[in-house]
Amino acid sequence: MSNIKIKSKNLDVFYGDKQALFDVNLDLNEKEVTALIGPSGCGKSTFIRCINRMNDVIDICKVTGNIEMDGMDINDKSLDVVALREKVGMVFQKPNPFPKSIYDNISYGPKIHGKGETKSELDEIVENSLRKSALWEEVKDRLDEPGTSLSGGQQQRLCIARAISVNPEVILMDEPCSALDPIATAKIEELIDELKKTYTIVIVTHSMAQAVRVSQKTGFFHLGKLIEVGKTEKIFKNPDNKMTQDYITGRFG
Amino acid sequence: MSNEHTVKSYEEELQFLKDSLIKMGSLTESQLSDAMDAVIKVDKDSIDKIIKSDEEINKFRSKIDTQIMNLLVKRAPMAIDLRETISSLKISQDLERIGDLSKSNAKKVKPLPLDLPDELLGNLKRLGELVMKQLNDVLDSYVNKNFDKAKEVWEKDEQVDDLTYIAMESVIDFLSKDKKNLDFSTHLIFATKNLERAGDHITNIAETVCYLVKGEYLKGSRPKGKVIQE
Repeated sequence: MSNIKIKSKNLDVFYGDKQALFDVNLDLNEKEVTALIGPSGCGKSTFIRCINRMNDVIDICKVTGNIEMDGMDINDKSLDVVALREKVGMVFQKPNPFPKSIYDNISYGPKIHGKGETKSELDEIVENSLRKSALWEEVKDRLDEPGTSLSGGQQQRLCIARAISVNPEVILMDEPCSALDPIATAKIEELIDELKKTYTIVIVTHSMAQAVRVSQKTGFFHLGKLIEVGKTEKIFKNPDNKMTQDYITGRFG
Repeated sequence: MSNEHTVKSYEEELQFLKDSLIKMGSLTESQLSDAMDAVIKVDKDSIDKIIKSDEEINKFRSKIDTQIMNLLVKRAPMAIDLRETISSLKISQDLERIGDLSKSNAKKVKPLPLDLPDELLGNLKRLGELVMKQLNDVLDSYVNKNFDKAKEVWEKDEQVDDLTYIAMESVIDFLSKDKKNLDFSTHLIFATKNLERAGDHITNIAETVCYLVKGEYLKGSRPKGKVIQE
């Protein structure tokens, strides 16, 4: 039985008057991949943004209920959000490397978090992060080139390397492959398989096939509610809820 | 929320697959029934027709295979659609095998004498009727997605085993009375065994229907009746 890394209880999120999440109770297991699926606007991205307090940057956003990581209340106002985000990395739909060199893209995070004080320590972090994100062999001879000079798939792996450079515990991925071709997607999926040995991963995806391939647990959201959550195999072969079945089989009206 | 797929052609392809399987099922029923009649009535004229109808069943099987491949490639079906697709593949295989067994039975009519005694054929006829009923019921359970009916068929295979045993005994009794009967009695023994095997394929279909409807396999092993050692 896996340990629960993140636990949400009765989680509600409001954007002004509009409620975006309703009473979400969801456990994310440690060193497992959890896929969140559901139509656009169903609340899956809102949910993962609760995990690293990204919703804080939206003034009108209000989060109530409980969300914990290793028993620590993520919503605690006294919590150091920078420290939280060091533990919870994030990768977005569109690769967004900094307009800096490949090397600096990776070393920036450790530097601001006070890791890697010497050049050789930073070199080691950069190499390790790029190796873990399966990019090292492709870029080791051009670390000084801009991150933006890489292909889309490489840029996304660079962003993953950047996320893991500060040694996080959780990686949130918001549709990380939707802008990538099938080969680049396959490389990211292969990477996710490898990364889950070390990190707890939450991935939002619109690709059912991807959810089946990469995740062990799947949650289906609809109109801000978590409709069903369970083992991925069960959800895609024999879901309990009719709404889940209608969505994954393409019967959604 | 509607029950129809957003993509209409996907809906049509799944329906087409189900229709093909139902047609294949009904053809297999007719062939099994014709083959039984041919054996019981020692009707040698119908042999060719039965063999021919097996070709039709095989064609259906290839057609269904192609439809399934297309569905898998084009739609990557999930949940009930995935179960529907995979079940069709399995059911069509079992139907094809039942077709082969009926063809084999039709071929066994050729060497049979025209004056077979009723007591020899009575039990075989009863076995044939039971297997026919089982096939009819299992196909009904598929069409109506009826779990309970499929499970009933699965449980009733025990009766098929028992009747097979009884039918075999009648043939062996008859054979032991006069060694002259050896030639054609062997064919009757094979025909009986073929019906029992058809029964097994029907039970496979019943298991598949149960999985299709509930998404889980029946637990435990199927009830077995008396079995003739091979």
